[in-house]
Amino acid sequence: MRSRALMLTLLAILCTVSPVAAARTYSGEQTLWQDTVWQDDVLIDGVLTVAPGVTLEIRPGTTVRFTFRDSNRDGIGENEILSQGILKALGTIEKPILFTSSMKNPQPGAWGAVNMLMSEAENILQYTIFEYGYRGFHAHFAKATISDSIFRNNLRGLQFQESTVTVERCQVKDNLNGMQFRNSVVLLRDSVVSGSYWGIRGVYNELTLSGCRIENNRINGVNLRDSSLKASDNHIVGNRKGLYLQRSQVNLYGNSFIDNSEHGLYLEESSGTVHTNQISGNGRAGLRTLNFSGEITGNVIINNGEYALQNDGKDALSASGNWWGTTDVDQITALIRDDRDRPGLGPVDASEPLKNEPAWFRDYYP
Amino acid sequence: MKVRCGLMLFVVLWLLVACAAPRTITPDALPQLSGVLHQNQTISGEIVLAADLLIPEGRILTILPGTTIYVKPTLSTKIDPEWLSAETEMLVRGTLRIEGTSDKPVSFLPLEEEADQDVSWAGILFDRSVDSVVRHAQIFQAETGVLCIDSSPLIQESLIAESRYGLVMQNGSSPSISDNLIRDGEAGVFCWTNSSPELRRNQIAGNKEEGLFIDRSCNPLLDDNRILKNDIGLAAYDPELRARVGSLSGNREDFRQLREGGGK
Repeated sequence: MRSRALMLTLLAILCTVSPVAAARTYSGEQTLWQDTVWQDDVLIDGVLTVAPGVTLEIRPGTTVRFTFRDSNRDGIGENEILSQGILKALGTIEKPILFTSSMKNPQPGAWGAVNMLMSEAENILQYTIFEYGYRGFHAHFAKATISDSIFRNNLRGLQFQESTVTVERCQVKDNLNGMQFRNSVVLLRDSVVSGSYWGIRGVYNELTLSGCRIENNRINGVNLRDSSLKASDNHIVGNRKGLYLQRSQVNLYGNSFIDNSEHGLYLEESSGTVHTNQISGNGRAGLRTLNFSGEITGNVIINNGEYALQNDGKDALSASGNWWGTTDVDQITALIRDDRDRPGLGPVDASEPLKNEPAWFRDYYP
Repeated sequence: MKVRCGLMLFVVLWLLVACAAPRTITPDALPQLSGVLHQNQTISGEIVLAADLLIPEGRILTILPGTTIYVKPTLSTKIDPEWLSAETEMLVRGTLRIEGTSDKPVSFLPLEEEADQDVSWAGILFDRSVDSVVRHAQIFQAETGVLCIDSSPLIQESLIAESRYGLVMQNGSSPSISDNLIRDGEAGVFCWTNSSPELRRNQIAGNKEEGLFIDRSCNPLLDDNRILKNDIGLAAYDPELRARVGSLSGNREDFRQLREGGGK
């Protein structure tokens, strides 16, 4: 009798410390007040809040489903997770964690989001899949590291405000919009953002972008305003505009801007450096500038539809030391639109063109 | 007699002045349109497009002849991705039927221009729309007069003026576009990414950049268009399009072949 009571007590303590729930359902508005572990199947049929200081651990292979509720008839589901605590969703390559809709044939926006709100502790998501959400992953005044994850068929794949987020080796595919952020510090590397309307879109950010493929987005691949961007070793391919920057600071090194329908890059009221990039096969201009100040040098700017470089600003533009596909001065002049074509525009200095393809380009495209 | 003549003269002058004076619009007094169209709707008279409007899949908005839609520019800097532009837009994922006639067109007029903006609203944006019609519309000062993404509306006898892009087709759009005037914008008509529109008897004139741009993935049907007084009349990879497009005249450069080497 005494041992039975002891067993019951131990069981109760274990449940308090780390309740393991399988096939658990949360209905209406509920709050997790203690550390919780999920595995197997979880159903969210309302809004589940994770209280400040509480850790929600989600184990490999867990599927979290959200029912559809649309109280304001805007077509967007409202059931979601709101975490003010700490989220650790640690899937594995064999057993990823899935966040999805409970509907049989869901549409993007069938549920809300996994929201991080005022969650300054390190939230970690690895090997997760987000699909059919409104904002798959959403951080506000939060910190997170997301790796090896997939965001697909959401209205917004990922969204951040006033947050610090690292995204590594992720695929953000076929969302209405890929990634959107504001007033945030974002490191995005070795990831793919493709098949959206806007690939990456933001204002007032510090974005470091490296080793990514931003491709086949219907509007712009990367679109930033009032931000700073450091981008290296990215492939920005097949979007309408590849990169569009307004009133921003930029440092572009070793990227390729290829086969975008309109412009490879459009730098408006911005400043910085554009070094050692490949800008080719874009439909209108490879590089269009409007009041850009800085250095454009060491790039390969070839095979663009109308112009290699189009300066629509009133100020002079420095673009010496680039490879234009030719060393003939007249041909280079013909590839550039500036004050010689339209009085009132600023001149482009394309002096000292490279005599040959630079070695990095030859090695990369033998 | 003199008094009568003077009175007549006064009345005539008053009428002339009254007719010449611009009409003052009181937008708040007019019916407002914005948000999500939850049911099929037919509109006429004077309406204000007060903010973004979404016509979702399965819904139909019909605009009757003689309707004037005053567009209120947005003051926000929104980047909400449910919308395709930061400006006020009419986003059509369902069906839009603009049923203007030659003597009673449907007009889209911006209420006021935003300071330091060269466009006042986003335009009519078709995104996977079906069965849409734009007939005898008059569209002014849009970012893109009509944008077709994977959409193939009928666009007839309409005017698109003073817009950044007149008409843009992309991602497999095949609209039928005939007897329109696209004039005095930054650029006229763009055909991108596997689009195959029919362009017949259109006039594309006075645009600061290209009149008509056709990329190498597109296969348009061109017939009897007049492309004049643009910077570049026709920009295309395929030189045979020059002979098929119609007339090219008075452009700074009538035809620019987009070729591997680029260049002028």
